[in-house]
Amino acid sequence: MKKRLMAAVLASVLAVSSLAGCGNTGATTGQETETQTPAVETPVSNPADDGLGAGSNAGEDVTAETSEINVCFGSEPDTLDPALNSAVDGATLLVHLFQGLAKWEMNASGVLEIVPDAATELPAGVENEDGSITYTYTLRDGLKWSDGQDLNSWDFKYAWNRAASAALAADYGYMFEVVRGYDDVADVDDDGNPLHPEAQLDVDTPDAKTIVVTLNNDVTYWNELLAFPTYFPVREDVVGNEAWATDPSTYVCNGPYKIASWEHNSLIKLEKSESYIDANDISMGTINCYLSDDQNNMLTNFQNGSWQLIDDVPTNEIASIKSQYPTEFFNVGQLGTYYVCWNVNEGLLPAGSQYKDDENAKSEIRNAIGLLFDRNYIVEEIAQGGQLPASSFVSMGLTDADGSQFYKNCGVSGSFDGYYDTSVDAYENNFTAAVETLKKYYDYDEAAGKFTNFPTLTYLYNTSEGHKAIGEYLQNVLAGVGITMNLENQEWATFLNTRKDGDYSIARNGWLADYNDPISFLDMWTTDSGNNDVQFGRGAHANVKNYSLDLTSVGLDTKVENGTWAETYDVLIKEIKSCTDKDSRYKMMHMAEDMLMTTGCITPLYFYTDMYMLDDSVKGFFSNPLGYKYFMYTSIK
Amino acid sequence: MNSKTISYILRRIVLAVITVWVVITVTFFVMHAVPGGPFVGEKAISEAAQKALEAKYGLDKPLFTQYVTYLKDIVTKFDFGPSLKQRGRTVIQIIGDGMKTSVRIGLIAAVIALICGVVMGSFAALKRNTIADRLIMVLTTAFVSMPSFIMGSLLLVIFAVKLKVLPANGASAGGMILPVITLSLSPMAYITRLTRSSMLDVLGQDYIRTAKAKGVPRVRIIFGHALKNSLLPVITYFGPMLAYIVTGSLVVEQIFAVPGIGRAYITSITGRDYPMIMGTTIILAALIVIMNLVSDILYKIVDPRITLE
Repeated sequence: MKKRLMAAVLASVLAVSSLAGCGNTGATTGQETETQTPAVETPVSNPADDGLGAGSNAGEDVTAETSEINVCFGSEPDTLDPALNSAVDGATLLVHLFQGLAKWEMNASGVLEIVPDAATELPAGVENEDGSITYTYTLRDGLKWSDGQDLNSWDFKYAWNRAASAALAADYGYMFEVVRGYDDVADVDDDGNPLHPEAQLDVDTPDAKTIVVTLNNDVTYWNELLAFPTYFPVREDVVGNEAWATDPSTYVCNGPYKIASWEHNSLIKLEKSESYIDANDISMGTINCYLSDDQNNMLTNFQNGSWQLIDDVPTNEIASIKSQYPTEFFNVGQLGTYYVCWNVNEGLLPAGSQYKDDENAKSEIRNAIGLLFDRNYIVEEIAQGGQLPASSFVSMGLTDADGSQFYKNCGVSGSFDGYYDTSVDAYENNFTAAVETLKKYYDYDEAAGKFTNFPTLTYLYNTSEGHKAIGEYLQNVLAGVGITMNLENQEWATFLNTRKDGDYSIARNGWLADYNDPISFLDMWTTDSGNNDVQFGRGAHANVKNYSLDLTSVGLDTKVENGTWAETYDVLIKEIKSCTDKDSRYKMMHMAEDMLMTTGCITPLYFYTDMYMLDDSVKGFFSNPLGYKYFMYTSIK
Repeated sequence: MNSKTISYILRRIVLAVITVWVVITVTFFVMHAVPGGPFVGEKAISEAAQKALEAKYGLDKPLFTQYVTYLKDIVTKFDFGPSLKQRGRTVIQIIGDGMKTSVRIGLIAAVIALICGVVMGSFAALKRNTIADRLIMVLTTAFVSMPSFIMGSLLLVIFAVKLKVLPANGASAGGMILPVITLSLSPMAYITRLTRSSMLDVLGQDYIRTAKAKGVPRVRIIFGHALKNSLLPVITYFGPMLAYIVTGSLVVEQIFAVPGIGRAYITSITGRDYPMIMGTTIILAALIVIMNLVSDILYKIVDPRITLE
């Protein structure tokens, strides 16, 4: 009996203690309900902001206290340190938190442009005798950090040196490679220690308001770099604490907003900063950035009205979303290309073929296979996000020397843009021509319409429904002409490793540029580049002497016949990077892309677009081609 | 508690420590054997940066040296190291944040499951073979067999999309309600079934018949004799269940975007954030081992017929 009593006591103690636990937790939740933002079914409105058009915000009288917007453009950012960030969602947060020398802005006529921000103006550079360029900037009066301290020119100098340094080892440290002195600042020895710990970028601050910076040579995207988060200022005493960017209490910034609260993995609340110099222009008082990477969850929250912007949608829902939300689904151009890359060292010819070691034959085969694919079908039926069929590697949106689209000026023919015709009508001809080309190298069964001795290929992609669907389409097309291509998927990090190491024959690939200059698509294919997934100039390809380079037309005496990849492409990229003449530079970039496309190792499929959903009630929103979203000038009707 | 029990418990504790150590060792080496690394991305970073980062986090050292350093830091300083992905934050901070949410949701769900399960189970047993009993059995069968991602999505569609009465995001106010319900349904159904069958078992025992014959009131028979004895299997189930539910349901946290430990775990694995993978694995393993131990001991205390050796 005593034992039974004990059991009863125990059972009830267990139940009661759990109940107590429940009571406590319940109370906490209750409190939060009161203090937290009512996220559901609460229309956030700010009547005072009515009539705010895109970018036309100057001089408006705004009552920021009542305005609030709920958005979701990514999950927990890896970092909110501007120097360390390399993610687009992180950059969106940073452009709200910091003020660089320049910024992206939408002007009154709805055109995006780079305008001075912390600098009074963005003057042209002065060319020095050695071809280097010196820029001198003056900071505006009254710039403050969010803790009230004055912002000085040396904060920029410190931030830039820090971001470029080997000691910090930031992903985007190379963004400073255009600045003189970068090579020494970033160099490390074999153990990963800085080789020149005392080295500095060529940045001078004669007084608290003046910044003088010297670049190796003129680059067209310099102003864009100034608007890039890696170039934002940070203060030495703030970032001395390594954890400064993880907690609102230690986060000191200089932009339109400051972090009011940060519940990790859940919500970052941005609140308008009163110490910001242009605080009067900022119409949105509070931005609640929900942190989520689940597309279905995002869509649910958009559909029930909780969130006003989501930056991603489930691929398999795009078709229904487009018809259901015609005015709220957006699709804007991005500087990026989705493509298939080939391992240059992969043997493609059948055993005993006379062309076995002929690099030109392999190039021709790869290019022919690239023409078998119907890019219009891919973008309309599979990707469905309004992407554009790609006919070049350098994507749409990048400009040429004369300001026109770079991709329209490449290739040979004047009748279409790019290296081949992607129009719907041209597909059949492309296909037939490609089959004819392939017949040179493989046995073809005319009756069945199929190749009989094409070696089996394997297509590698990272696990995702979208990539899988495209892989299946490619597989299907090739099967139609008797080519077997197996599909293999790998988990993301494994996939990246496999592709980087060249342990594949064909792989899915994609590239998004960080600034509007074609070099951002071209310098990744040099022999030693970490992004050289094709393995140009590596392994057996290191000894393939099949490339020619003639730079006499741009006034240089470089002329190589039948050289290796390193002797031609690498040299060309080096020349482009040190070239100070704009026209010659762009001419050489076209040459580089020509070389790249001739190899057939890059099969562009489509140009990326940035898909997002924005509630009809939101006015004054814009995004830039890099995918950053700007909420500071928004208002909700 | 006799000396036999104490030595049993001590042995179990030693065993638990060994288990956790084995988990650490296996995870550590398997994790490093998997291709990919923490500093790989779609865009490769420069070789210099890669080297500098590896030096900074000690990843350039031989694997065994790293392993020894790691164990030493945990044992001597309880230091799980910094996150390689979320720079500036330590593993302990991230796990702490995640556990706060997961434990809160898990505890509420567990308590709801326990109370509702016991009440419904007893009710079903007492009303055996009535329509109510059948209904409860049908529902619990459904809840036990329905995977949480279906249950979660279903609740999401009904309450967040169609009716719009509850938020879909775990971070919003009231956002915990749906995940709690999703998490609690399956264990609740299981407890209901456990309670029902053990209650039926107990109700058929001689001492209940004796009590009835003595004229003990029905309420007293149920609450005084039957219920507490029929709770024994529930208690043994409750310990491990609590461990699993509290350490976060990966699926439920993903569906409702709950910032819990489960999501942190998944993110750390896909990102190859080595110290985070180790930290979460250790914490989860330790919790499960401890909960199992506690429920074994509880069982002994509750049912003295069982000898622990």
